[in-house]
Amino acid sequence: MNSLWTTFRYTYRHLLWQVIGWGFGLALYGLMIVPMYKSMSAEADRFQQLIASYPPEVLAFFGADATSPLTPAGFLGMYAFSMLPIIVGIFAVIAGSGLIVSDEEHGRLDLIIAHPIGRRAFFWGRTLGLIGATLSIMVLGWLGFNLLMVRSGLGFTWGQMAIPFLTLLVQVLVFTSLALMLSLLLPSRNLAAMVSGALLVISYVVSSISFMDSRLEMISKALPYHYYQSVMSLEQLNPIWISALLGISAAMIMISFACFTHRDIRLSGEGSWRRR
Amino acid sequence: MINTDHIPQTEIAIQVQGISKSYGKIKALKGIDLQVKRGEIFGFLGPNGAGKTTTIRCMLDMIRPDGGKIMLLGVNPQIDPVAVQTKTGYLPGEMQYYDNMTSEAQLHFFNDMRGVRAKWSYVRELSERFALDLHQPIKNLSKGNKQKIGVIQALMHQPELLLLDEPTIGLDPLMQQEVMSLLREANEAGTTIFFSSHIMSEVESLAERVAIIRSGEIVELTNTEQLTHTTVNRISIRFKRPSDYSGLAKLPGVEILSHADQTNLTLQVTGDMELLIRSLGNLPVYDLKTEHLSLEEVFLTYYKK
Repeated sequence: MNSLWTTFRYTYRHLLWQVIGWGFGLALYGLMIVPMYKSMSAEADRFQQLIASYPPEVLAFFGADATSPLTPAGFLGMYAFSMLPIIVGIFAVIAGSGLIVSDEEHGRLDLIIAHPIGRRAFFWGRTLGLIGATLSIMVLGWLGFNLLMVRSGLGFTWGQMAIPFLTLLVQVLVFTSLALMLSLLLPSRNLAAMVSGALLVISYVVSSISFMDSRLEMISKALPYHYYQSVMSLEQLNPIWISALLGISAAMIMISFACFTHRDIRLSGEGSWRRR
Repeated sequence: MINTDHIPQTEIAIQVQGISKSYGKIKALKGIDLQVKRGEIFGFLGPNGAGKTTTIRCMLDMIRPDGGKIMLLGVNPQIDPVAVQTKTGYLPGEMQYYDNMTSEAQLHFFNDMRGVRAKWSYVRELSERFALDLHQPIKNLSKGNKQKIGVIQALMHQPELLLLDEPTIGLDPLMQQEVMSLLREANEAGTTIFFSSHIMSEVESLAERVAIIRSGEIVELTNTEQLTHTTVNRISIRFKRPSDYSGLAKLPGVEILSHADQTNLTLQVTGDMELLIRSLGNLPVYDLKTEHLSLEEVFLTYYKK
C-alpha cells in the first residue's frame, strides 16, 4: 500500500504542470465563454440570423441546430462542451500513452521497477495518479465555468454544472485507458498515441455528422463520442451510458494491467513483444 | 569448473539453474548455471551481447526466462520479486533519470520507492567521496557523474546483495578506484556482490570468482586467481638449431601463436603443461620463457573461440 501511495504521489507530481496547464486553460476558457452569453442574449435576433446562415454540417460539428445556441444549455454545448472531449482528449492520449511506456522507452523503468514496489502497486499507483490528474483538470475547469455563472444569465447552479463535466471526465477516461492499453500492446508509445488520437478524432467527426447519413449512424454507435452526453445531461443524465463507458475504461485498464504484469520490461531501444 | 554443490542452501546468495531466454529466433541465454556464495564478490565477464545484462535482468524479474530457475537470497524472484528487491541494490548498464530533477531529488525518489530505508548521512558521505554536487540538475551532469548517482542509489540502503551491470563504466580512473574501494568495504560489511564487466583489471582486482559468458553460454567458471595464473600460459621457446616442432601443435591445449623461423616459437598452452614439457625433452631447447596471461588475455582466448 505504501509503495502504491508513493508511486501515486510521484505520478501526480510529475503530471502537476500538465494539470496546471490544461486545468487553468480550461478554467480560463470558461471564464471567457460564460459571460458572453449575456451579450449574446441581448443580440438574440441578429445572432439567430447568423446561426441560420451556417450550413447544417458546421452546426452538427458543434452539436447544435439553428435555435439551440440561444438556450443556456445549447450555448454551452456549442461553444464549449462539444469540443472539450477533443481538446482534453489530447491530454488523455499523450498522458495515457506515456504513463508507463515513456519511462520504459527512455530506459528509466528498468531501475524504477528494480526497487521493491512490485509491478501491481506500480501500475495502480501510476494509473490512479493519472486519473487523479484528469479529475483535477476537470475540477479546475468546472471552477472556471462557475465563477462568473451568476452574472451570465445562464442560470445553472454549481451542482448542475458538475454534471456535463462528469460526462466529459468519463469520455476522457475512455481515451486515457485506450491510449494506456495500446501503449502496452503496440511496440511504441508513438504508435499508441497515433492510433488512439486517430480514434479520438474519428469518433468526434463520425458521431457529429452521423445524423446526416444513416450509414454513419451505425458506425457512430460503436464509437465513444456517440455516448457523450455533454449538456444534454443537464436535462437528463443517462446513467447507463455513463456506466457503460466507465465499464469499457475499466476493462481496458484491466487488460493493460494484465499486459504489464506479465510482460518483459523492455530496455530502451528494444522491441520485445514476448510474454510469459 | 568449481563444484559448489556441497554448499548449504542458506549460504548461497545466487542460484541460477539452466535459465534460457530467447528473443524471437535469437537465443540470448542457453541454459546458464551459476552459484554465488553469500559474502562473495563474483565477476561476470563477457563481450557485448553475450547475455550479461539479460542474466541480471532475469534475476530481478524484469524479464522472465523461458526455462530454468533462479533463487536470490533463498527467494524466487518470479514468485516474490519485492522480497528480492528489498534486499538488493541494482545498478543498470545504462543509467537514465528524470533530467529536470536534481541528483538529490532523484536519490530521494529512489529512497521513497524503497520505502525510505537509507540513512541520508550515508548518502551525503557517498556523494562527498565521489565529489558529486547533489544540488545540480541531472541534465547538467556528465555521463560519469550520472553513473555516480547510479552507484550511490545502489549502495545507499546497504543491501545484502548488489547486482551491478558495468559499475565503473564512464568513470575516470580515480573514481573507478573509489567505486572499487566502496565495493570492497560493502563486501567486508557482508554484502554479496555480483557484477558484470568487460574491464579485466577490475575483475582481476575485485572478484574472487569469475564466470565468462559467450553467446549465452557460460564457457568458464572458476577462481579469478586460478584463471589468471594457471589456466593459460604463453611460452616462448628458442631452439639451439632449426628443429621440427610440428608435433607440439597436436598436443591437447597447445596452440602455436607465432613461428618466425625453425628456431623461435611462441605457444599458448591452456591447462596442463606436462605433455608439452615431455615433448620438449626430445627437442634441442636453448631457452624457455613462461608468461602468465592477464585476465584480459585469458578472456580474449575465450572470446575468440
